[in-house]
Amino acid sequence: MQPQLIRELEALLGPQAVLSAPEDLMLYEYDGSVELGSPRCIVFPTSARDVAGIVRLANRYETPIVGRGAGTGLSGGAIARNGGIVIAFSRMNRILEIDAANLRAVVQPGVVNLDLSRAVEHLGLYFAPDPSSQKSCTIGGNVSENSGGPHTLAYGVTANHVTGLELVLPGGGIVRIGGKSVETSGYDLRGLLVGSEGTLALVTEITVRLMRKPEAVKTLLAVYDTLDDTTESVVEITVRAITPAACEMLDGFTLRAVEDYVHAGFPKDCAAVLLIEVEGLKEAVEAQAAEITEVCRLHRAREVRAARNDQERNLLWRGRKEAFGAMGRISPMYYVQDGVIPRTRLPETLRRIEEISRKYDLQIGNIFHAGDGNLHPLILFDERDRAQFARVVAAGGEIMRHCVEVGGALTGEHGIGMEKNELMPLIFTPDDIALMERVRAAFNPLGSLNPGKVLPMGKACGEIRVPPMPASTTIPT
Amino acid sequence: MSRPAQVPFTRLEEIAGGASVVTDAAEIAAREVCGALPAVIVRPADAAHIAEILRFAAAEQLAVIPTGGCTKLGIGSPPARYDIALDLSRMNRVLAYDPQDLTLGVEPGVRIEDLLRTLAEKKQFLPLAVPFSDRATIGGIVAANSSSPLRHAYGAVRDFCLGMEFVTGEGSQAKSGGRVVKNVTGYDLHKLLIGSLGTLAVITRVNFRTFPIPQAQGTFVASFSSAEAAFDFCRAVSHSVLTPQMVEIANPGTAALIFSGEISARIEPRTWSVVLSAAGQPAVVDRHERELGHLAGAADAEEFFPLSDAEAYSVHAQIREFPKLMMERAAAAAIFRVSAVPGVMAPLLGKLRVLAAQHELDFVSLGLASGIFHVAFLPQTESSEPPQSLSEVIAEVFRTCGQPEMHASSMLEWCPTEIKTSADVVWGPSRPDFELMRRVKHSFDPQNVLAPGRFAGGI
Repeated sequence: MQPQLIRELEALLGPQAVLSAPEDLMLYEYDGSVELGSPRCIVFPTSARDVAGIVRLANRYETPIVGRGAGTGLSGGAIARNGGIVIAFSRMNRILEIDAANLRAVVQPGVVNLDLSRAVEHLGLYFAPDPSSQKSCTIGGNVSENSGGPHTLAYGVTANHVTGLELVLPGGGIVRIGGKSVETSGYDLRGLLVGSEGTLALVTEITVRLMRKPEAVKTLLAVYDTLDDTTESVVEITVRAITPAACEMLDGFTLRAVEDYVHAGFPKDCAAVLLIEVEGLKEAVEAQAAEITEVCRLHRAREVRAARNDQERNLLWRGRKEAFGAMGRISPMYYVQDGVIPRTRLPETLRRIEEISRKYDLQIGNIFHAGDGNLHPLILFDERDRAQFARVVAAGGEIMRHCVEVGGALTGEHGIGMEKNELMPLIFTPDDIALMERVRAAFNPLGSLNPGKVLPMGKACGEIRVPPMPASTTIPT
Repeated sequence: MSRPAQVPFTRLEEIAGGASVVTDAAEIAAREVCGALPAVIVRPADAAHIAEILRFAAAEQLAVIPTGGCTKLGIGSPPARYDIALDLSRMNRVLAYDPQDLTLGVEPGVRIEDLLRTLAEKKQFLPLAVPFSDRATIGGIVAANSSSPLRHAYGAVRDFCLGMEFVTGEGSQAKSGGRVVKNVTGYDLHKLLIGSLGTLAVITRVNFRTFPIPQAQGTFVASFSSAEAAFDFCRAVSHSVLTPQMVEIANPGTAALIFSGEISARIEPRTWSVVLSAAGQPAVVDRHERELGHLAGAADAEEFFPLSDAEAYSVHAQIREFPKLMMERAAAAAIFRVSAVPGVMAPLLGKLRVLAAQHELDFVSLGLASGIFHVAFLPQTESSEPPQSLSEVIAEVFRTCGQPEMHASSMLEWCPTEIKTSADVVWGPSRPDFELMRRVKHSFDPQNVLAPGRFAGGI
């Protein structure tokens, strides 16, 4: 039956659009997380009609379907957990329209995030969501995961920038929700679909808002000798209601790895730095930068300096955005967390992470979106050491439990996926989850679309999933 | 019309307490929804009460509509059934306010005016400059997705609401989102409740992020001889580096409603007006005044001038209360909420104005330069019955907005009940996504307990 499915897919899309050899499947069995799952085949549609045809075929063969952009996701969202067909959107990568006058762009899901900003740069515009993977991640993936990035502190996450979607429903129907207008009458289906992690529908076209580049940008680097001073600065920036465009923290351990790799001029002997960016009219930028500098000095920053030019600024940001990659220099693998906490709880949370690091004898690097309380502790490990890996999983669970205890959330931007779906009961009651299951069934009645994601499967409630051992030593970045 | 229902009051009294079950005629009349009256009003104290009431209503096949300040019950299509008004006024507490974290959690019955006063003590606010501000409650504002001119800079409820707790039509207490400013844990079900007119669930808690009140503020008015010139100016503003908080475009008829005193004396009656505000450091406000003035000059503005604080206060209030002003002006007004990209707004409003003229109706419009407008068709003479032309024009508006090149979405927010003969009159012709909305409704409220018939597609 399955070879027949592949033949039918080849007949539908052409043989060049279907991969099923074992060596090809291997390339699609992982994403940016520590999860694995092998699909039966990969297909490369070029239109919504192709996608609808694939979905109808899959239904006939009762085969699961998983949508996939660039595979940079960090929670296993694009992994074929139950096998089946992976629909790779890499050939649906055209920017269909740039409507500069109305600050909109219409794109196919496979368009790379940064490519859209580059395509509108000459118009003084950009696409605001800027995940660290923006050089490779796709806008379709951003929509699925409701991706964030450093600058979402000021400009909001993907959901705030999507006005319209074209969907292929799990039954094979094609429906548009929203469009170019700011709002559409009826229930806010866009709000539900963005961030639904590919479990409700496949997105085949996206209409996004474009933003005007600010007049002035100032990037500050504040250097600290203690973690507490660093986090207290973030709290005070929030309390004073200063609204930087981005406020990122890198701890000393992470910095040393980054600096050896990027050579951005980060001091290697400090406890932590804050990378803070203010944007807007030059008057506003100057005033905010002055106030932020004052706050940092008040909290004993040993140095606060501003990037002198675009080159310095880009280097600092390269350090931040490539920090995950830099970790590969000092550890074979890492496990990245994505918990969120109320911003005023940062100091105690960082102390707690230090305790957990000691308790489990693990190296944990901290690099995160401090301004909105979105933590990314990186737990380093060597996958050959199975005992260590069990400690990694336990430490990750403990960090997440702390986030929940202080009133936070399991994930700020990476998604639940197959990594944290069994942890959902930490936040949600059985009634909450039952309602989410019903909403999922309303769109995806057979559960054929991205099965085993977001909602718990009920086997090991409240437990972090122990992922399979990674097969290779490749460092995901 | 509501059928006469035998509502077993005693059970409701057991649930919410005797004093919380009300049948007073004036109170009942205040909770009219498009001509339908409830048999009884119940005032629950908490989510547990609501859950019990809804389970009871489902078992007895009674229909329930949640109410707050009763200012927007006229929005939506007429309910097919309506037995119990669920008055949330007892649930009026601020449950959590962390000014240091700039987050807030409130019950639905909190009045926006009271809440803004509480936030102002900490120099913070919510960007909800909404109509009926003296009575409107958070629950109603969220359920009707009230539009605010501050949306230009701060977004709408969906953009600063962090999560909600609610009770579904089945009487199940549920929640989504959370209290932190960034969160992708689970489905964002709360976004579905925004603008749902109480058809999916009864909101019991809303979490928001709050915003600092800017140091300084300035408001400016520019007037233009044509819609095109006004929209060109707004496009120039949106493509500049300036960051105004509010950019509202008013047609000539609207100016008479929102301006008074010296301002109206300075504005020619035939001109289009743009009201802008800037906020932040004083230097930022000064620069806006300077450069907005230049841009207005370049767009051939007839006038450009700043408002005094007192004038600004009054103009902001009139803009905020615009739907109410229109209803006061004509009982038989048909008021649409129209959303379209800015580039088509001028021609779209032009077409709608022609429609109004053809049907001998007055036409007023006010909206955000980013493309959300209230447009009203007003009878030129007061009469006890709405003119036939009003029904005709309503169908024409949906046809005009539905043209593909318009990229527009519209709904009829307010009109006389007599005209609302079907859900299509209010929500427009059926769309393919209505079927998805029906499925969503069924997930939340399978027995159709909550405001049946009030929503798009007869949901």
